[in-house]
Amino acid sequence: MFRAGRRGSRAAVAAVAAGSVSLLLAACGEGAGAASGGGDWKPTKPIEYVAPANTGGGWDTLARSSARVLDKAGLVNRPMRVVNKPGAGGAIGWSYIAKHQKDPHKLFVTSPPILLVPLAGESGQTYRDFTPVARLNTEPLAYVVKADSPFKTFEDLAAKLKADPGKVSVAGGSGPGSLDHVGLAGAVQAAGADASKVKYVPFDGGGEALTSLLGGHTDVAVAGGSEVQALVRSGDVRALAVSSEKRSPILPDTPTLAESGIDYVFDIWRGVMAPKGLTEEQIAYYEKAFEKMVEHDSWKKESKKLGWTNSYLGSEEFGKFLDEQNKEYAGILTEVGLRK
Amino acid sequence: MDALNQLFHGFGVALSPQNLAFVFLGVLMGTVIGMLPGLGPISAISLMIPVAFTMDPTSAIIMLAGVYYGAIFGGSTSSILLNAPGVAGTVATSFDGYPLARKGQAGKALSVAAIASFVGGTVGVVGLMLVAPSLSALTVSFGPAEYFALMVLGLTAVVTLSGNNLTKGLISGTVGVMIALVGIDSQTSTLRFTFGRHELYEGVEFLIVALGVFALAEVFVMLLRRGQGGGDGTITSLRLSRRELKEISGPTGRGSVLGFFTGVLPGAGATVASFLSYSFEKRLAKDGKTFGKGNIKGVAAPESANNGAAVGSFVPLLTLGVPGSGTTAVLLGALLVLGVQPGPLLLDEQPDMFWGVVASMYIGNIVLLILNLPLIPLFAKVLKTPQALLLPLVVVFCVVGVYGHSFSTFDLWMLIGFGVLGFLMRANGFPAAPLILGLILGGLMEKSMRQALLISSGDLTTFVTKPISATLLALAALSLLAPLYGAWRRTRRRQGLSEDDGRGQDEQPKATVGGTQERENG
Repeated sequence: MFRAGRRGSRAAVAAVAAGSVSLLLAACGEGAGAASGGGDWKPTKPIEYVAPANTGGGWDTLARSSARVLDKAGLVNRPMRVVNKPGAGGAIGWSYIAKHQKDPHKLFVTSPPILLVPLAGESGQTYRDFTPVARLNTEPLAYVVKADSPFKTFEDLAAKLKADPGKVSVAGGSGPGSLDHVGLAGAVQAAGADASKVKYVPFDGGGEALTSLLGGHTDVAVAGGSEVQALVRSGDVRALAVSSEKRSPILPDTPTLAESGIDYVFDIWRGVMAPKGLTEEQIAYYEKAFEKMVEHDSWKKESKKLGWTNSYLGSEEFGKFLDEQNKEYAGILTEVGLRK
Repeated sequence: MDALNQLFHGFGVALSPQNLAFVFLGVLMGTVIGMLPGLGPISAISLMIPVAFTMDPTSAIIMLAGVYYGAIFGGSTSSILLNAPGVAGTVATSFDGYPLARKGQAGKALSVAAIASFVGGTVGVVGLMLVAPSLSALTVSFGPAEYFALMVLGLTAVVTLSGNNLTKGLISGTVGVMIALVGIDSQTSTLRFTFGRHELYEGVEFLIVALGVFALAEVFVMLLRRGQGGGDGTITSLRLSRRELKEISGPTGRGSVLGFFTGVLPGAGATVASFLSYSFEKRLAKDGKTFGKGNIKGVAAPESANNGAAVGSFVPLLTLGVPGSGTTAVLLGALLVLGVQPGPLLLDEQPDMFWGVVASMYIGNIVLLILNLPLIPLFAKVLKTPQALLLPLVVVFCVVGVYGHSFSTFDLWMLIGFGVLGFLMRANGFPAAPLILGLILGGLMEKSMRQALLISSGDLTTFVTKPISATLLALAALSLLAPLYGAWRRTRRRQGLSEDDGRGQDEQPKATVGGTQERENG
C-alpha cells in the first residue's frame, strides 16, 4: 500500500515534469540513444536503481537526483526506479545486488563505505564483487574549529596533536574506521603525528558533531564540506583546511592540506556501480548516460546546491581509482588498529 | 516588535492562496499517514518529497513542515484506538488513551489528544517565533555529559511506569536497555549481539518493538479472551465538561513548554519529551494512581509535549542547519535539494521563508484542529468494527508499517517475536512501558556516557562538574529518593498513630504498607 502510493506519486511527478519539457528533451533523448550506438545494447525494462540506505540520506539524495536528471533529459530509454535497501551501513543493499550477477537492469550508488565497511570486516562483499560504472563527483572533508579557538591553521592543530594528543578531542559524524575518522587519521599521520593517539569522538552524523563543537564540548570537528558551509559563512566556525587536492568551490577561502604543508588528499567521492558480469556493451551504455548526465545543466545546478564538485571518471578509470583508494584506506586502518 | 512586524509579513506569505493550499495539503497528508500504525513522519515526508521538488522552495517547506507536525498530530489516533503507536512520540499516549477507548471513552480521549496537540503545537510556534535565534545557545549547551544526565533523569520514569510492581518494572526496563545494545557499537564500530545477521547491524528498530509489545500483544490477549471484555463500542459524548477542560489545562500547559524545550535539543526529541511529560504529570497529579488506567491527564501530557517538541526541533534545523532528529534530517536533505541552506544566516538572508514557515505553522495547527475534531466520531466508530475484522486489520497495519520501513522479512519475524514477548510479559505481570523507555533512552545514554568519558579522558567527575549535567543528575536522584522519603515518613506517622489508636486512618496505612514493600523489593 505504502509502496504503491509512493510509486504512484512519483510517476505523477515524472509525468508532470516530462510534460513541461517534453518535446525538446524527447529530441535530446533520441540523440543520446544514437550516440551510444557502439555496442547497441539498450535496457529493455525499467532500471532498478538501489540506494543502500534509507530515504533522506546521502546515498538516497544521490540516487534520486541523478535518476531525476537521467529521466528528464532522456539519457536512458527506460525509467530509473529508485529503491531503498537500507541496513548494515550498506551491506544489505550490496548483498542484494550481489545476488543479481549479470543483471544489467540493476545499478547502485556508492561512495567510500563500499571500501571501508568491507575493510572493517562488516560486509560479505567487497568492491571487487561489483562492476564500477562511473565516478560522478567529489566533496572535500573540512577540518573545522569554533571561531574563538586558539587553532588558526591546520599546522597549529597538527603541532598540538604531536605534542599533546590527549588534550584535543575531535568530533566526527561516523564511527571509528569510517569516512570522517579515516580522513582525519590520514591527515594527522601525514602531518607526522600518531593517528592512533588522537581522541576521535564519534557522533551520529555531522550535525551532532558540529553541535558539540559549537557548544565547546569538543575542540575540533571533521565533516563534509557541504555540511559546514553555512556555519563557515556565518562566522560561527573556522575551517582550518579542506582535504581536496585543489580548493573547493564550496569553501573557496579555505586552504587545502597541501597549502598547509601536509601532503595528503582525501575526497568523499560518489559514483555508480552495477552487478558483476555485465558485458562491455552494457557498461558502455550506462557509462555514456552518466557521462552526458554530469554535463547536463540541471545536474550542474543540483550539484551546486548540494556542494558536489563534478569529477567524472569512466568505468575503467573508476576501477583503478577504487584499487588505489582501497590500498590507501587499508594502510590507514591498519595504522589506527581497526583493520579486520 | 520587530518580530511581530515580520510575523505579519510572514502571514502575508503564508496566506497566499497557493501557500494556504499547500499547508492544507501538507497537514492533511501528514495527519492521514500519521494515523496509520507504523507509518510516521519520516514515511510521510519521504512520500511527499517528490511532490515538493516540483514546487517553489517556500511553498515546499511550508508543505513539508505541515506533513511533519500533521503526522505527529495524527499519530495519537492509532495509539488510542488500537494500542498501535504510529509514531514513536505517541507511545506514551497509548498508556492512558487505549484504556480510555476500552472504557468506551475513545471520543473523549481523541478530543483531549486533539486539543492538547493543538496547544502544544501553538505554544511551540510562539516559542519558535519569540526565542528561536537565542535558543540555539541552549541547543549547543548540551554536550555528551549533559545528554547522559538527561537520559538518566528520563530513565527514573521507570519507577512511575512500573505500575504496582517495581521489581518487574526494573527487569522490564533493563531488558529494554539490553535490546538497545544490539548492533554496531557507535563508539568502537564493534558488532554486539548480532549473531552474524546483517539485519541486526543497525540495531533493533524501535517501531518493531513498540508495535510488537503493544499492538500485537494486545491482539493475542484479545484472541485468548475470545472477544470478551473488549469495549462495547459505545461512544460517550465528545464534549469535555468544563471540569475536565480545567483538569487537563495544567498538564497541557506544562507539557507544551517541556516539549518545546526538549525538542530544541538535537537527539532528544518528541519521544523523550512525551515520556518525561507523562511521568512528571503522573507524579504531580493527586490521582496519579489512576494513570495507566484511563486518565485524560495521561493523554494530555504526552500529546502536548510531542507536538511542542516537533515544532521545537525546527530551532536547530533553521538556526544552525543541524538536524535534531531523523525526521528533520530528511527535511534538511529536502531543503538542500531545494536550494535552501539552513543555518545562522537563514533568518537574515531569507526572512520571507523563515517567517512564512512560522506563520504557516499557526495556520496549520488551526487547520489540524478543525480537520480532526469533526472526524473524531468517525474514527471512534472504528471500535465498532467486529473484532473478527478489527484484529486481522491491526495485524495487517503492523506488518505493512514494519515492512514499509525496511522492506525486510527478517523484521517481520522480529515483529512476531516481540509480539509473543509482549504477550508473555502481560501474562506474567511485567509492564511493557519500562521496556520501551529503556530501549529509547538506553542507547542514547550509553553513547553519550562513553563520548563524555572519551572527551574527559575517563574522568568521571565530568558529569558532576558541569552545571547542567549536575543539576539534571540531582533532579534524577531527587525523583528516586522523594518517594522513598515519603514512604518512610508515612511509615513513621503510622507507627506514631498506631501507638495512640489510629482508627479512621485505615485507608492510608494500607496503601503505605504496599508502597514500602514494593520499594524494599526494588
